[in-house]
Amino acid sequence: MRPDLGRTSPTFGRTSAVAVVAAGVATPLGLDLVTFWSALCTGVDGISAIERFRVDDLRVGRGGEIKKLRTLRHGRLPRCRASALLLLAADDLLTRAALTADPARVAVVVGTALGGVEEGERALGERGARAAAAGLYDSPAHALAERLAARGPVLTVSTACASGATAMGVGADLLAARAADLVVAGGYDVLCRFVMRGFDALRSLTRESVRPFDRRRSGLLLGEGAALVLMARDADAPRMRLGRLLGHASSSDGSHVAAPDPQGRGLEHAVRGALAAAGVGGDAVDFVSAHGTGTPLNDRIETAVLRRVLGPRAGAVPVNSIKGALGHTMGAAATLEAIMCLLASRDGVVPGTAGYEEPDPACELDVRGAARAARPRVSLSTSLGFGGCNAALLLEGVS
Amino acid sequence: MTRVLGVGLLTGWGAGVAALPEDARQAAGARRVVPLATPPLAGERFRRATRECLLGVAAVEAALRESGLSRAAVAGPRTALVYVTAAAYAASNKGFIEGAGTTLHFPYTAPSAVPAEVAIEYGLTGGYVILVGGATAAVDALWQAGTLLAAGRADTALVLAVETFEECADLWARGRWATPRPLVEAAACAVLIGGGDDTGYGPGAASTLEALVARRAGETLACGPLVGLALARAAGAPSARLSGCWRGRRAQIAVAT
Repeated sequence: MRPDLGRTSPTFGRTSAVAVVAAGVATPLGLDLVTFWSALCTGVDGISAIERFRVDDLRVGRGGEIKKLRTLRHGRLPRCRASALLLLAADDLLTRAALTADPARVAVVVGTALGGVEEGERALGERGARAAAAGLYDSPAHALAERLAARGPVLTVSTACASGATAMGVGADLLAARAADLVVAGGYDVLCRFVMRGFDALRSLTRESVRPFDRRRSGLLLGEGAALVLMARDADAPRMRLGRLLGHASSSDGSHVAAPDPQGRGLEHAVRGALAAAGVGGDAVDFVSAHGTGTPLNDRIETAVLRRVLGPRAGAVPVNSIKGALGHTMGAAATLEAIMCLLASRDGVVPGTAGYEEPDPACELDVRGAARAARPRVSLSTSLGFGGCNAALLLEGVS
Repeated sequence: MTRVLGVGLLTGWGAGVAALPEDARQAAGARRVVPLATPPLAGERFRRATRECLLGVAAVEAALRESGLSRAAVAGPRTALVYVTAAAYAASNKGFIEGAGTTLHFPYTAPSAVPAEVAIEYGLTGGYVILVGGATAAVDALWQAGTLLAAGRADTALVLAVETFEECADLWARGRWATPRPLVEAAACAVLIGGGDDTGYGPGAASTLEALVARRAGETLACGPLVGLALARAAGAPSARLSGCWRGRRAQIAVAT
């Protein structure tokens, strides 16, 4: 018997489920949802040598770089690459759904780890007010709102690499509070020299393939992209939809600025919070989209958390990470992963974990390298980021 | 309506509302930025922390003192932290871009570094949201904190804002159309508890408090609404309508003081 999706929890508090009506993406695997999804399911490799900026002085010069941006259906792409990626994802989203609400009731909530930092770097060497303003972390969100003619709340969330999940959660809260009738939520980040220098210096980047949960995993590779979903209150949303966000939660590790809590206590709190917000237990989870960066520490910690939360079923619940295919897209990652969960439910396919070949005894989960037939009803998506940021989403797909 | 237990306020003018001048523009004179000194926080743990991180910690300390709460009272998973800033990542980003940054410096370029140091210092492990933007985002942050409280996802919420300008004064000068002078560095924290979800959150005209904050504190971006909260409490008002404007968007919220 399937768990009831209506229980309440006195410990964490409930959140209202909201409908995820449609999605749009811009990724190294494709600049639209159909191409992205097809590439994920067929094992296309989105990692390549970085060409857009200088990397010859770095240890690692590869990543999930988008080689060529397409044009927009209407209007021109802005110079700011972060804004351009967001507008491309919005362009894709709007091929599947229209913003039918009063513009004053349409909100934009986007997450980012880096904002317009590439424009900020440029602004240091240029004159003029425009460059300085474009360097602010919230500039791309305002560019998106302007393009969508959305005049409701415009929020930029920056919980590092958990930003895309936190943004969806804040968007759901806006709907529940009736502060908006439609929310365009998601995340983005660009692959730029600033972030490559940083992660390269931290020695977090691998010279090999990204291998989430694999015994030989040796680090992550970065990627870039943007992902957006259109959300509405469940009762107001059209019948045709991708699914629902049942619950969400965030937490702070309170342990280290750059490293996750060694026991994963913060992540566990976020996961249990999302489950409680949805009114379900770990037994409701059919599939886990893990943060799965491919670093030795992250994957071991995540495994431990999932085993604690899922209990004896942990070894039987399909788990994947899509970061082996397109790199860690930072602010975009969690929203891309949430979309992937909903598409898996719709199409009955769970994409494989690119790079996964040799099981690691420290990561005893049901991870596979290739795509498999499975139609999860309820998916859990986990995210972590610098600053001890954790976020979890519980999603229900439509089969 | 969300209720405020206390507000900790540090600005370039000094600690608390008593330090604010009657007319910030006049008091600033020719200064483009009124800086806020780095708090003298001792300890090995803070040796890498940036100025904005230390300001965040000091603002929370002041807020707890104002609220009569101990550190133990807020430690753990039942206290949410909502951090907001428009500018307090710029100095660390500039430093890293210009080559001063080391391996250990890079994580401090993220806006999340400030609330991370606060969370570590006070053992906060509850709900965690970080918003980027000016005064409007601070109103959004107060709403988000109220939402976490009203939904039972937290018992106490800290809304923290930090703004620093000095290291990037030339960039701010170029963008002065967005930020009328004087820019006043500030760090402010409000301690909130639940009290219903009737917040009046949404678009709205500028409140009288907003004008008072601009006149007395100057431009403090995301700290503005929290400065307004401190002023309302000092005046003994039972509630406050806080408003803010940033990049053409205006928002307001009501809070029981």
